[in-house]
Amino acid sequence: MPWGEGGRPDRVRGAFAGLAIGDAAGWPSGRHRSVRLAAWSRRLHRELDAFAEEHQVTSLPVPFALNQPVEPLALGPSDDAEWLAWTALTIRQDRAEAFGRLAGRADVRARISVWAALDNLAAGKRPPASGHDNPHHFDDAAAVRAVAFGAAGEDPGDDARVTNAGDGVLGAVAVAAAVSALASGVPMGEAVDAAVAALPEDTAIGYAARAALAAAGKAGDPFAAVPALDAAVLDHVYSYGTAAAETVPVALALADAAVREWGPGGAAFGAGVSAAACLASAADSAPALTGALLGCAAGHEALPEGWRASARVLTGCCLPELAGTDLLDVAGSLA
Amino acid sequence: MISIRDRARGCLLGLAAGDALGAPAENLTPEAIAARWGVLSEIEGGGTDDTEYTIFVAGLLVRHGHALTSEDIERAWRTEIVDRVDGSMRGAGFSELGTVRALRRGLRPPLTGRWHRHGWSDGLAMRAAPYGIFAAGDPAEAARLAEADGRVSHTGEGILGGRAVAAAVAVAMTGAAPSEVAQAALEAVPEDSWTGRNLRAALAVAAAHGQENGQGFARALHDAVVGAHYPWTDLAPEAVALALAAYVRGGGQVEASVVTAANLGRDADTTAAIAGALAGAGRGEAAVPERWVRRIGPVEGRCLPAVAGRHVRDVADELVEGT
Repeated sequence: MPWGEGGRPDRVRGAFAGLAIGDAAGWPSGRHRSVRLAAWSRRLHRELDAFAEEHQVTSLPVPFALNQPVEPLALGPSDDAEWLAWTALTIRQDRAEAFGRLAGRADVRARISVWAALDNLAAGKRPPASGHDNPHHFDDAAAVRAVAFGAAGEDPGDDARVTNAGDGVLGAVAVAAAVSALASGVPMGEAVDAAVAALPEDTAIGYAARAALAAAGKAGDPFAAVPALDAAVLDHVYSYGTAAAETVPVALALADAAVREWGPGGAAFGAGVSAAACLASAADSAPALTGALLGCAAGHEALPEGWRASARVLTGCCLPELAGTDLLDVAGSLA
Repeated sequence: MISIRDRARGCLLGLAAGDALGAPAENLTPEAIAARWGVLSEIEGGGTDDTEYTIFVAGLLVRHGHALTSEDIERAWRTEIVDRVDGSMRGAGFSELGTVRALRRGLRPPLTGRWHRHGWSDGLAMRAAPYGIFAAGDPAEAARLAEADGRVSHTGEGILGGRAVAAAVAVAMTGAAPSEVAQAALEAVPEDSWTGRNLRAALAVAAAHGQENGQGFARALHDAVVGAHYPWTDLAPEAVALALAAYVRGGGQVEASVVTAANLGRDADTTAAIAGALAGAGRGEAAVPERWVRRIGPVEGRCLPAVAGRHVRDVADELVEGT
């Protein structure tokens, strides 16, 4: 089917599937999914890391399945796809109450911002303090969830402020603005403009978004833009790579560059997501966010079939109750 | 009668002593500190970034006085820190290298403090005591000066932590009771802030556990202001709350305040330095234990080569002469 013929439902499914494919494409996906293996196998992985360091071995360990089922280590979606699905499934609920039901659960895996917010909620703090009194208020947990709000055409603010503040909330607003526009059939360039317009220039995320778009625009196609984005946006100082001020600008810039080069279809999707996955420190979520934007623009039917199949079923690595959930069904509820 | 000079010296000697005492306890839990030392009360080695960055700030105040601006501080960062970073930075936190990277990128304040991820770090709070010495008795002015500094390297709660410490030191410099000093810290930050909420929670723990010995106070304080799901310890809202609670629980006495803070762990060199600055300002130079003072010599410039050779006692005297 040529681009756009599936209409809004196809574009919403494209946003969800695109996020899950990008999530699967980034190298951290395998580490997240290895949570489905026994804890001792991950302990052995850490010991192999130490061995490599101690013995100057450049054969770096990867998640492995000694006496374990290998399915969790096959290509597939991980944390971002699960939190997106959870958001879509609970989107009609009061956001603080929905998160409150996760607080105190021992089987949940989440970003630092989300855990800090769950702890705050359990201690009686309400939004926006739950997202503000938060060492990772700036991360992109809410930006990932905002794909659901953008697909539903709704404001992501109340959801974002439970777990984030500052750039973390702005990242969510920008992503929802772009996805909402794309789901309505607005071209990528205008959708990216709408997202950037939501980011004040005197914030890190606003400055970085404009710098990323300028750098990628100058470089041309997405793969060519990788070194320029690394230099313009990734600072390599801090220990975690999920800052909204890094991943959201990368996603906006690569989605924009991909559509400029290839038009809004499957080719642009592959080029943009692949390039995002090359930015190693941002590869946990930048490919997912890039995939959501480009998948929404392309529509689900235009995405590569093998990737659609591989990224469709959740493994429950963050929210065990979602194991086996079909993400397309979840997307259908918002389409 | 304790002179302003005595208080200034007490403040910076207390800060340097806390920095040195707390350094080996950094990132340890109270339980691990108790298992290793019983009570950590003897300085083992030298001070760290807290003392050296404090000296750096004091030099700027002596040069610029009340006219000190964020642009003056930005210029000093460029000439005295950025230009002298050759390869790795030593002994600093994320906020310092993040600021250096932002400055090298050509950014200007306040974006330099917003660009990196550690805008809330205690890197401003750890160096804010000189603003309180310089603006003794005027907590609003001390907080204003600290904020001008913080705009270069911090944002949000990181700036509030610096404001709280500067204002508290300014009031401690008058010999006020610890409760009044803590009140000054609270008044320097918005009620609706992380720092404000943590300060109130920590001071409530200090009040409730005032007479108690042992781990009960430390554990209750950790439960009140230390998050469980973040590995780094340099959050200003946490460090300032721990430091103020330790100072109040120590009754404003130098040794009790500093030892209490250091034995709480987390960013122990910074929290003990802040507690020592407050207590030293309140009680003066003679109240800093002599066995600690003997361990404090000129700084080596391990973190900031620009301040190598300076002694906090001389820096304190210059600050007082500059007022």
